[in-house]
Amino acid sequence: MADAASGSAADKSVQVKLVLLGEAAVGKSSVVLRFVSNEFQANKEPTIGAAFLTQKCRLEDRVLRYEIWDTAGQERFHSLAPMYYRNAQAAVVVYDVTKATSLEKAKTWVKELQRQANPNIVIALAGNKVDLVQPSPAAGSSASESEDEADDATATPGEAPAEASDAENLRQVPREEAQAYAEEAGLLFFETSAKTGEGVVEVFTEIAKKIPLEHILASSRGAAGRPGAAGRSASQDVSLDENQSKGKDACNC
Amino acid sequence: MTDAGFPEAILVLDADVEVEPIDGEAGNAIGRAAASAGDDASKKALRDQLRRTLSKKESLSDVTSRRNRRGNKSLDIQETYYAADVFPPRQYFVLTDAGKPVFTSRTIEHNADDLASTMGIMQALISVFLDEGDKLRCINAGGTRISFLIRSPLYYACVSSWGEPESVTRSHLEYLHLQVLSIVTMTQLRRIFERRTNFDLGRLLGGAEVLIHSLLDRVEVDPAMSTSSLQCLKLDPVVRARAANALVPSGKMKASDILYIILVAQGRVITLVRPKKHSIHPADLHILMNTAHSPSIINSSASASWLPLCLPKFNSSGFVNTFVTYLQPEDDISDRQSAGKISEEVDNQKSVDPASSRKASTTSVRSGVGLLCVTGSGDFEMIRSWCDTVSKRLDTDGTLAAITQAISGGSTEYSVSDLSIPGLRHFIYKSRAHVQITAPVYEEPYDNITERRRLITLYQTLHDGIHAKSGQDLPLKLQYIRTEKESVMGWITQPFEIYITLSHWLPKSAAVNAANAVSRWVKKEEARLFLRDAPVF
Repeated sequence: MADAASGSAADKSVQVKLVLLGEAAVGKSSVVLRFVSNEFQANKEPTIGAAFLTQKCRLEDRVLRYEIWDTAGQERFHSLAPMYYRNAQAAVVVYDVTKATSLEKAKTWVKELQRQANPNIVIALAGNKVDLVQPSPAAGSSASESEDEADDATATPGEAPAEASDAENLRQVPREEAQAYAEEAGLLFFETSAKTGEGVVEVFTEIAKKIPLEHILASSRGAAGRPGAAGRSASQDVSLDENQSKGKDACNC
Repeated sequence: MTDAGFPEAILVLDADVEVEPIDGEAGNAIGRAAASAGDDASKKALRDQLRRTLSKKESLSDVTSRRNRRGNKSLDIQETYYAADVFPPRQYFVLTDAGKPVFTSRTIEHNADDLASTMGIMQALISVFLDEGDKLRCINAGGTRISFLIRSPLYYACVSSWGEPESVTRSHLEYLHLQVLSIVTMTQLRRIFERRTNFDLGRLLGGAEVLIHSLLDRVEVDPAMSTSSLQCLKLDPVVRARAANALVPSGKMKASDILYIILVAQGRVITLVRPKKHSIHPADLHILMNTAHSPSIINSSASASWLPLCLPKFNSSGFVNTFVTYLQPEDDISDRQSAGKISEEVDNQKSVDPASSRKASTTSVRSGVGLLCVTGSGDFEMIRSWCDTVSKRLDTDGTLAAITQAISGGSTEYSVSDLSIPGLRHFIYKSRAHVQITAPVYEEPYDNITERRRLITLYQTLHDGIHAKSGQDLPLKLQYIRTEKESVMGWITQPFEIYITLSHWLPKSAAVNAANAVSRWVKKEEARLFLRDAPVF
């Protein structure tokens, strides 16, 4: 993680402001922690206000620097959210696959973003805590997004929250339902597990691919940002190096 | 917005938190009386019954069930703390004036029904007295005292068997109230409860319990909180001054509604830069420090946090924003990546906060240096880039390294043996002019948590006595108490207050001599021990 130190790299990297939104306790901070430090902490304390983190990702021809605002999910912080998404180029709206109401909350966030955020904002919907509804933590596999969700009805690992221990009952948001909603609303869609790491890096790499980097470069640096010439279409072929080589380990550079 | 008249004082020299008039909101009683209809005669009977019994017997087995059995001994402070070799965790409760639970420090071993009925009883008791325009302050039940604080629309209660003076738990409850107000402003509270008296505030405070738990851990042991003062980090005054100069905002920042800029380490203030017109109230500072040292932030791998909070003494109706970032010299950065490791580290070092009783809130003090910027502005990008500049400046000019070296070399703390005063075991010295205290680390036998609690309770008794906080007729100038294990003395003079602990065979005259010797030493070391001046802007 040579990233944090370099102020000099700033002139090469594209800064992407990203905000995480979602109901309390769906795992926003854990998703970011997985992405930024490749760690997981059980029983994380709730975020207060908002936490600021950065993480660099190297694309084939350039460096992306995510500036991440990880917001507190509690209702009392809701009114502060515009401050964080106002200038954001990307948003990750997180819900908890074991809690139906958290998807409803996610939908209201999406609506608010589509109404009030930057019109070009790239929004990803992430259903977190899939490890709870899978037979075993799928730590090795990186294919979760494309995988068919046959595991809706499978057994759950021991960690099931409190009352329900039945995997069938545990999953409250079917993948298809959330995915259908995401398509309809024009969002990127993922199911993730901050605990096992499944799907987390993909969220950020797919966002990176979809973001109009040239546009950001142009607007933030004026003409100086131009030479890179690779337009938006070119960036679709690009993938983060780390993602290809190390799977989900991280896209830390 | 207070104290425009005293641009020189960093801290508000102020009536202590707990000194707030007990009859502060008599007006509320009238409202209550109207609200609660009922059979007046039976109420009066109940009231009389309560009056007769509350201070003598444990009539509320529910409320006091977990206390130590002490028979029906009436409360005898002396006896209690001589005998108290165990300090069962105090229990704190916050409820609405409609009797709805808001917060409890109780652990899960008690079920929710039990809690609801406990709160219900508390609400009933308080309102019975409020109906008569009276206020229930505390119930003494054997060795247990249940104290109440009424801050409508909220009620606070504390159950303690530690044998401390009444003013102590009241002051805890006051701090608890301030912490709640830092999360939901007084104005918001009033508005919410005007609309819906039955509002479930507990839900609104969701996620903030961690702040309240850490505040409670802090308030029980932090002498700066109980003396309404500040304890700053002992440091070479040259380093302190250099740090302060680096913090002074300029240009756009200066104009952007900056309230305070504070550099902290080991949970203590290194220096504090502020606009000329604003002093800072110690209570606000404690709330701020507690919030900025919350496990949510300390254990986070975020490079910065942005916290809206209300500083109730500054302005109880609105929020300010606080930017918090922990700086670390470049070579330490790897450490900070793993939060787990940090808390271990902290446990090993002589932590400022003694071991805490509640697991949920291990208020660890990160070895790093924290930069807090409190502002009325919402422009975090500007604040962030300015704070980046400041931290680079502190790093490149070596100030940060000097501070971290001082910390790791142990020179930010001192031992009572440095003073070479025979028989002296520990002391707390409060400079009244600076509104600051200094104290050596707790050493044998007070490195043991039970002994430390016992000593702190003794200090609190002295503090209570020399300030006449629990309804005594007159404040004492000097109080000397001898226990089986030590003798302690509290003494107040024009320039200072001192609380000293000596070997128990030392007579009072020796104690006075020791106190004078401490005061001379502090005078000599003043520049290191206290934050005497800091630039204003």
